[in-house]
Amino acid sequence: MELSPNKPPTAEPEIDTSHVEEFVEQLSCVTNSLPPRINIDAQSVEEGLAKLVLTLIEFIRRLLEKQAVRRMEGGDLSPEQIEELGLALMKLEAKLQELKEQFGLADEDLNLDLGPVGRLI
Amino acid sequence: MSSPFDQMLIESDVEQLEQADLSLLETLDHVLNRGLVIAGEITISVADIDLIFVGLNILVSSVETANEVVRNRK
Amino acid sequence: MKLYVYCLAEKLGGLPSIHAAPVLGISGAQVDLLKVEDFALLVSEFDGDSAPSVTRDNALAHAAVVASVLNETTPLPFRFGTVVAEDQLRSYVTARREALKAKLDQVRGCVEMSVKIISGSDQADVPQLNEMDEQGPGARFLNEKRRQILGSERRSEEAKQVAAWLKEQVGTYVQQEEVSLSQTEKLMVAAAHLVAREQVAKYRDQLTMARKMRPELHFLVSGPWPPYTFSNIELEFKTRFGVS
Repeated sequence: MELSPNKPPTAEPEIDTSHVEEFVEQLSCVTNSLPPRINIDAQSVEEGLAKLVLTLIEFIRRLLEKQAVRRMEGGDLSPEQIEELGLALMKLEAKLQELKEQFGLADEDLNLDLGPVGRLI
Repeated sequence: MSSPFDQMLIESDVEQLEQADLSLLETLDHVLNRGLVIAGEITISVADIDLIFVGLNILVSSVETANEVVRNRK
Repeated sequence: MKLYVYCLAEKLGGLPSIHAAPVLGISGAQVDLLKVEDFALLVSEFDGDSAPSVTRDNALAHAAVVASVLNETTPLPFRFGTVVAEDQLRSYVTARREALKAKLDQVRGCVEMSVKIISGSDQADVPQLNEMDEQGPGARFLNEKRRQILGSERRSEEAKQVAAWLKEQVGTYVQQEEVSLSQTEKLMVAAAHLVAREQVAKYRDQLTMARKMRPELHFLVSGPWPPYTFSNIELEFKTRFGVS
């Protein structure tokens, strides 16, 4: 699209790619997972709170998983400890899944991107 | 009886649809989560993860109500 | 009366049109010019209680209205779905006048270009730590998590490198940038670049050359866009909780 006073503006910007399908797929995922908007209008406070609480718990849960993997990699866990730790985390994941279902929240509703935190641990 | 040209037409229709989808997705990527936002939102970042609260205008009263809700549930 | 707001600009000669037909807004609404302070805003009257729905037509209409002024000036686009009472809008603009002017200064004469990069090749699998058969369910669970986590760390590293490479390639033409990494497993880099209008052609040429250097990467380049990514002004109330 040329930018000049003489040419009329086009409705849509140019999109240049050789991999339309791939980008459609990936961008659909992104669009479906924008940061959680927690609406704190009077009517939906409860729902907003549930989302907030579960988001934070989910965040912590993922941190714990990362921590566990770190320690496993570090070699300072016995096979029994690995098994126990794994089982505990498994149960935590399952419990959180239950809670999400109870509140009718899908994974996408609690979108989390550990981003920079991943590098901190 | 279908000819090779029918197949080509179908493919290019699909291509056009996908191109249109891509165009829409790119547009959404811009208009949905960027741009000027009038006060009415606060972003609370926990370790660089943004949780966006909308409805800032009634933030204070909503927090009060939230506490009541929690207290009443117990 | 509530207004749906599309964008704010320094001044507009008149209502925008495409091929001499007026640009229509969301739900086919008429677009009006509203002057507040020394700014010009494009708005539509908005009837209704809730936010306008995110439909294909509405999203495209919003984008079209904002884009329609691009030939005349560089506006500050509003995010989709901004509905306010007229007096609220006026007080917002008046209160944030300096910040808005500063933003307009930053984006003047520029447009936004978008570059997205997908990794073309499939990643090599992270090797398993132990013999899978001898493990209990807990250990297996943890090993699977390990595989996932290490895989995503490797992807993060690669994404950072690609982003740095991209910056090297087109950095000279970019005034401001916002880059997101690893938004999905395959989407490595999503960059928004603020580019001066007269440099867009060179920016594009440089990208074309750069793409050839990395055939293993898949690119999407779109633009020019109005500067959505570079428009928002900081709200006073933004709290950060650090984790250290």
